[in-house]
Amino acid sequence: MQVSRWAFAVVEMVHLLSLAALGGSVLLIDLRLLGVILKGESAKNIGHDLGRVLLVSLTILILSGIGLLSEEAMKCYFSPAFRWKMALLASSILFYFTLHRRALNRAGTDTPPELAQRAVAVVSMLLWLGVGVAGRAIGLI
Amino acid sequence: MTQPILQHLCQVIYDSQVGTAIRESDYAFSIIESVHVLAITLLVGTISLLDLRMLGVVLREVPVTRLSRAVFPLTWAGFGVMVSSGLLLFWAEAAKNYVNPAFRVKLILLLLVGLNPLIFHTSVYRRVSEWELEHRSPWRARAAAIASLTLWSCVVIAGRAIAYF
Repeated sequence: MQVSRWAFAVVEMVHLLSLAALGGSVLLIDLRLLGVILKGESAKNIGHDLGRVLLVSLTILILSGIGLLSEEAMKCYFSPAFRWKMALLASSILFYFTLHRRALNRAGTDTPPELAQRAVAVVSMLLWLGVGVAGRAIGLI
Repeated sequence: MTQPILQHLCQVIYDSQVGTAIRESDYAFSIIESVHVLAITLLVGTISLLDLRMLGVVLREVPVTRLSRAVFPLTWAGFGVMVSSGLLLFWAEAAKNYVNPAFRVKLILLLLVGLNPLIFHTSVYRRVSEWELEHRSPWRARAAAIASLTLWSCVVIAGRAIAYF
């Protein structure tokens, strides 16, 4: 892809569009888990349903990310922002499939969320935000 | 004065103290730009989930109005962040933006993407109580959803393309 500036741009645009979908689904799932929105719906159902959007967009993000990486792998290897992003991404994914999933499964519909569930929601949003911020920083530092 | 009035205006904005300060600062432009990029999730990410709901792809069991009540405050917050950060970016780059084809396309797309909810809310959404429980919304709502998804995607693409010209 090093030959074509526009190929890089197109992959970057795909990466950005999937970022929107990932961010939107993370926001709605975690704000529900936090007890801020959609209180009438079960957090588990919201998490399960929007989790599909999250995973599809995450897959596209990773695939397009590999495409972007292939053009500037050497630059990324030495970039602290890139290392941070990978560490945060791994943590986000691990967190999503373990503690986050457990919190969603235990969340009731009628009772307000427990402190532990709220904490999981906040940590989840911060982790994903961290991935985004570190990702943006790759192009800057 | 041979310049068109709009171009002249953009040059004045570009040369202003604030515009110059943002442009010449080490970090200001990058930080504002990063906020602008990440707030895409808040604006486009949230509204596209409502679009997917009307298309019957996600959250079919959730009434459309209940989801829209949850989503609109987030979308509007995102809109606020996007407009203010976008205006600051324009302030710093107005004279360059004026001649940038991607920027011009983006403005037209923004106009269209604003027109879409205007039509939607004054037409099929007025009778939303009749169809909000349906798993798949009526075709006019689905058309609005597809228009929204398409136009917002194009806005993001055009926005990214500004940096390439």
